[in-house]
Amino acid sequence: MNAFSLAIKNLIRKPGRTAALTLLTAFLALSVFGGSLVVGSLRRGLGSLESRLGADIIVLPASAQSKVSFEKLLLQGTTGAFYMDASSLESVREVAGVEVAAPQTFLASLKADCCAVKVQVIGMDPATDFVVQPWIAQSYGRQLTYMDVAVGCKVEADVGETLRIYDENCHVVARLAPTGTGLDTAVYCSMDTMNHLLAAAEAKGVSHKITTDSEDTISAIYVKVKDGYDIDQVNSRLNGHVRKATAVRTRSMLTQVSDSLAGVSRTVSLLIAAVWVLSLIILLIAFAMMAAERRREFAVLRLIGTSRRGLCRLILTESGLCSLAGGLIGIGAAAAVVFPFTTLIETQLGLPYLTPDAKTMALLAAATLVLTVGIGALASGWSALRLSRVDPGATLREGA
Amino acid sequence: MKKKLFSPLIFVLALVVAVGSQTFLSPCVHEDGSFGSCHWAGQALLGVGLLLAALALLSWVRTDVYLAILPAALLGCLTPGTLIPLCKMSAMRCRAVMQPAMILLCGLIALLALAGFIVNRKRAQ
Amino acid sequence: MTIRAENISKRYFRKTGQANYFEAVKPLSLTLEEGAVTVLMGRSGGGKTTLLHMLSGLLTPTGGKVWLGDTDLYALPDARLSRLRGEKIGVVPQGRSAIDTLTVLENVLLPGRLCGQPKSRETALQWLDTLEIGHLAEARPAALSGGELRRMAIARALIQEPQILLADEPTGDLDDASTHLALSLLQKAAHEGGKTVFLVTHENDARDYADRLYRMDDGALR
Repeated sequence: MNAFSLAIKNLIRKPGRTAALTLLTAFLALSVFGGSLVVGSLRRGLGSLESRLGADIIVLPASAQSKVSFEKLLLQGTTGAFYMDASSLESVREVAGVEVAAPQTFLASLKADCCAVKVQVIGMDPATDFVVQPWIAQSYGRQLTYMDVAVGCKVEADVGETLRIYDENCHVVARLAPTGTGLDTAVYCSMDTMNHLLAAAEAKGVSHKITTDSEDTISAIYVKVKDGYDIDQVNSRLNGHVRKATAVRTRSMLTQVSDSLAGVSRTVSLLIAAVWVLSLIILLIAFAMMAAERRREFAVLRLIGTSRRGLCRLILTESGLCSLAGGLIGIGAAAAVVFPFTTLIETQLGLPYLTPDAKTMALLAAATLVLTVGIGALASGWSALRLSRVDPGATLREGA
Repeated sequence: MKKKLFSPLIFVLALVVAVGSQTFLSPCVHEDGSFGSCHWAGQALLGVGLLLAALALLSWVRTDVYLAILPAALLGCLTPGTLIPLCKMSAMRCRAVMQPAMILLCGLIALLALAGFIVNRKRAQ
Repeated sequence: MTIRAENISKRYFRKTGQANYFEAVKPLSLTLEEGAVTVLMGRSGGGKTTLLHMLSGLLTPTGGKVWLGDTDLYALPDARLSRLRGEKIGVVPQGRSAIDTLTVLENVLLPGRLCGQPKSRETALQWLDTLEIGHLAEARPAALSGGELRRMAIARALIQEPQILLADEPTGDLDDASTHLALSLLQKAAHEGGKTVFLVTHENDARDYADRLYRMDDGALR
């Protein structure tokens, strides 16, 4: 029996003490890992939103609601239906500094026969689109043809299935990679499909026309600014030139999101720090109490030939094993709570939320484990050091 | 006394499955009162929950019953989504709340039943 | 191997009447011969335990030196002093001294295992049998009486066959028969094994086993 197996026996044969220390560290690991997982997901969500909004400027109908509605669509996946005349597209293209202008048309499906929510259908023009198509290209090598749709990852329809929208059969040809944004709940198609669906909607009495005589309607125009042009200038030029439309810099939209993300992330970080400090204090007290209770035991160990270092090693081994087990349990528990409820967390936060990749998560878990074991070692090491300084003879005299 | 610890825990979790399937973990509720297949998944989970609760009570008397809890808990995991289809959108309540919660609860029940079985077999030996 | 105390003393800081320290052991010199039983008697609170702890390398004296053979005990670094304690010095302390998480047998085997000179189970069981607690080998210390624990501590010290044996009230909780057994075992270790044995006790029967007898009162040898 060396010091290690003595430590193991001490742990196994005092299950109450061991369980208390393990649970305490498990709680610490749970909060640290769970919290950083949420923050990490929010960060990745923002990054993903940034790359999906590959445009410099977005032109929306001038109504007060359209911008709010567009943001909600982007962040929360609610449906939006706002329209402007297709002639706006030409006006946009006339503005100096506009390199590409790509229209999109939105249509909210009726309650699909599968579920209680409406699905957002987004039509884009394959010739000019530079926003959705690169994304589709990640999972589908070809262009969307007539009556083909690509679905966001949160639409539970497999490739090869048929989605019925306004009683029209749409073939699902691709499921897109997750973005963690509201875009994941939408269905994407080309403009000719969209026009067909708009007509079908019209037949069902769902109108999308601004005036009865307008030919085509669009919902948003994504603008890429030519190199060498100031985006702000182009933006204000667009606002002056295009009638009944507002141009919004995507940057300002992203800033809003990243501001609220910073808020959430600050709150979570504060919580983690609080838990960390609290755990350190509780562990310090717990180990100090344990050390006081076990003073005599440690003095006896010194009596039979254990050195100061040996005693410290024993205490650190015990606390190390406890906090290692606690850390693993805590990380497991956090994973069991955070991963299955990803969608719930996302909808509750209303922010882009994309679970980090496996490598990042492994790193996070490892860091949490190091932190947990470290804090256990710190708290117990202090007690161990104090204990080992005392002459065993002095302890043995007490209350003999 | 320890061998008696697992049955009550499983019983409580099973009740959470049964009661939850009708209340705080219920499937999607449509505004117009109609419902999709996820509603039937909820009904099935009510049954699975009650079955698990009954098995938990029996396991209090006969510890072999712990083994029977395993396939029943597996049924609970498979019911939402695999055996009975849910809504077509992940953001829907049945997918965001009911399915993960039920899989977690039933998984926990299965773990407890396995632990109960092992602990009691060791004791018997 | 002899132990030689040279002018050792111990002061504890404590508020008393005039001085702010309390002199538990006043400067004294003492030599413990090998092959002999040295018995120290005296009233409680007289500094006996403090002296024993200083002799066994467990308590740093305020002044003076303790020589084990020609080694100055308290000049050694902690690691070497601890090793020496494990290998050469067997101590039976006052009061309970069992590791609660280990069985009686494991407690007795622990010193050998910690210092890398493990003894066999059989040897340990023999010692437990000799001290009439063999039936308790697999019991946990919490289930033992004071007398049984004391005998376990004696077995734990004897099994390592240390050259120095120091026992603090080894017969404290023992009945007459056990007292006789324990004292004769210690005497045998000195006379037949050539060990250096030092006993602190207030048991008058111990006189019969003493080769040298000291009295200690108020921190001074008489």
